[in-house]
Amino acid sequence: MEYISLFVKSIFVDNMIFAYFLGMCSYLAVSKNVKTANGLGIAVIGVLLITLPVNYLLNTYFLKPGAMAWIDPSFADVDLSFLSFIIFIAVIAAITQLVEMLVEKFAPSLYSSLGIYLPLIAVNCAILGGSLFMQQRDFVNIGQPVVYALGSGIGWYLAIVCLAAIREKMSYSNVPAGLKGTGITFITVGLMGLAFMIFMGITL
Amino acid sequence: MGKMKDTFVTPLLKGNPITVLVLGICSSLAVTVELKGALVMALSVTIVTGLSSLVCSLLRNTIPNRVRIIIQLVVVSLMVILVDQFLKAFESTYAIDKSLSVYIGLIITNCIVMGRIEAFALGNKPFPSLVDGLASGMGYGAILLIVAFFRELLGSGTLFGYQVIPEALYNAGYVNNGLVILPPFALILLGCIIWVHRSLDKELQEK
Amino acid sequence: MNTNSNTYTVIYTTIVVVLVAAILAFVSQKLGPMQAANEKAETVSQILTAAGFGDKEHWAEIGNSATLEFYSDNIESSILVDINADQTGNLDNTQAQVYSTSQLKAQNYNIKNGTDIQVPVYQFKNKVVVFPVYGAGLWGPVWGYIAVADDFKTIVGAYFDHEGETPGLGGKIKDDPAFRAQFAGKVIDLSAEKPFSIVRGGAPEGAANAVDAITGATMTSKGLDAAINSWIGAYGKTLLQGQAASEFIKALEEAIQSETKAVEEE
Repeated sequence: MEYISLFVKSIFVDNMIFAYFLGMCSYLAVSKNVKTANGLGIAVIGVLLITLPVNYLLNTYFLKPGAMAWIDPSFADVDLSFLSFIIFIAVIAAITQLVEMLVEKFAPSLYSSLGIYLPLIAVNCAILGGSLFMQQRDFVNIGQPVVYALGSGIGWYLAIVCLAAIREKMSYSNVPAGLKGTGITFITVGLMGLAFMIFMGITL
Repeated sequence: MGKMKDTFVTPLLKGNPITVLVLGICSSLAVTVELKGALVMALSVTIVTGLSSLVCSLLRNTIPNRVRIIIQLVVVSLMVILVDQFLKAFESTYAIDKSLSVYIGLIITNCIVMGRIEAFALGNKPFPSLVDGLASGMGYGAILLIVAFFRELLGSGTLFGYQVIPEALYNAGYVNNGLVILPPFALILLGCIIWVHRSLDKELQEK
Repeated sequence: MNTNSNTYTVIYTTIVVVLVAAILAFVSQKLGPMQAANEKAETVSQILTAAGFGDKEHWAEIGNSATLEFYSDNIESSILVDINADQTGNLDNTQAQVYSTSQLKAQNYNIKNGTDIQVPVYQFKNKVVVFPVYGAGLWGPVWGYIAVADDFKTIVGAYFDHEGETPGLGGKIKDDPAFRAQFAGKVIDLSAEKPFSIVRGGAPEGAANAVDAITGATMTSKGLDAAINSWIGAYGKTLLQGQAASEFIKALEEAIQSETKAVEEE
């Protein structure tokens, strides 16, 4: 039950895009059509699903104050939390690189349509944000970060596919020349964000 | 020499990181509630982008392709953390660091830094890379300041923290617009800036 | 040279990582003590600001050593108490020893678990009592100091700080003097279900133990609200004892006064 509420909450209430506005760059740039959006969405779910549990384990067994006590009681006073930022980023970068190599090998057409935005997952704030939120939430076991990662990833995926669908429809609309493409997308996302605010403050 | 001028001018207008390349959006939503924050962020990003592009361009022929993202990020975060550590150590600069430390996470994960390294510095000589990095930071900063100007003026009635909307107007029934402070409004505002930018420069309009 | 071979990749990465780690370790070792001194002065100045001895800029102006000296001159006692309000230790006032932010963080962990709580109470010579609060904001920790008068109930001042809240939104807990000014004159109501509230959308008119949250910074306000209440929980008995003692003294003073009056009338 607790897992279901965490899952639903991380998709809707704590949606990475609309509640925290994280991971906007690739979100706006790679939502021109549903197919590419689909690919990037799945890549983000994948990266979140790997990095969050890995960072959770690193945080619990190495970085938290007193976390190293399991190696030797004399390490109980060691506090490496100042390193957490750079370590989280390194883990994320490594996993992104891995995903990039996999996509290049198995889906070359997707690789070329994602372009520069695939390596940019490494600096996708949604991924780092996920790890930092995880650090704050004090999850008690490995199951929670996994569920949280899955929920946030699906939330991001839903948001990008929604936007891509709207943009596909919008290409038939008569938008003023200067607003076409990027401009109207920004405004659409702003309005979607306002609509999503109805979920704010819902407790599950 | 003309080429160098192009390298400098392009990121300011035709290749503006925010309005044309759509990079660095997260931070432009977060730090544009007030002008002061926007200015600090703009300066820091300009410096960091310039230096990171320079260093990565110097290393460009030695970086193995398969681990390049990690190496780039390590270089960027090393520099940001070093600056932070030095500022924190001296009594005279400690206060600056206090107001800057908030942005450190945002600077490291700013897509512009990584984006310019990936797209420019890895394929160009050090000096053009430095120029490109600095100019990209400035192009980013210019948009940031425009957005922050409107958000602070309409949302709080102040500019750089100084009250500019007169008390008399409030007494007459004027209220600050709470919507402007919320992040979605920054997106709408950015959309309008893009509209203006592309109306002036027809080449950028999308078909 | 083939920069894509496995050996090259591994060696290159190792060298870069070792080099970076070495630089960072060296720098933090060399600069560590200087940073610690600055951080300590910062903490002391935050406590003094909360207690109402001057605004934050004043302490930056007079410098670190003068700030510490002022603290040592004006502090009456600084003790450590546990959850039962029993004194478990002392801080060295001549050295202006205070709990650092990382110590607060460790105590916050203990408060959550309900074990091994040992939190500081700073009492100044002008009878103002300051205690810290600590919790999670949106992006990182938020903490602060709340100063109460000698009745252990009425708040006389507060100061808050944060690590990474959004400037202009959550950052206002520190930067907006109007937000902090709200706290003065409010009371901590230990008999209520929630001793103190930061209310989104505005505190109800005339509420003695509530202040307005910051518009647009829901998560930070919520986090600060939770931090204040969980730490007040840990200080509950200390505050109650202080209240009882101050009421006792007040009653005693009144009794003495009426006694003397009676004697005079006779």
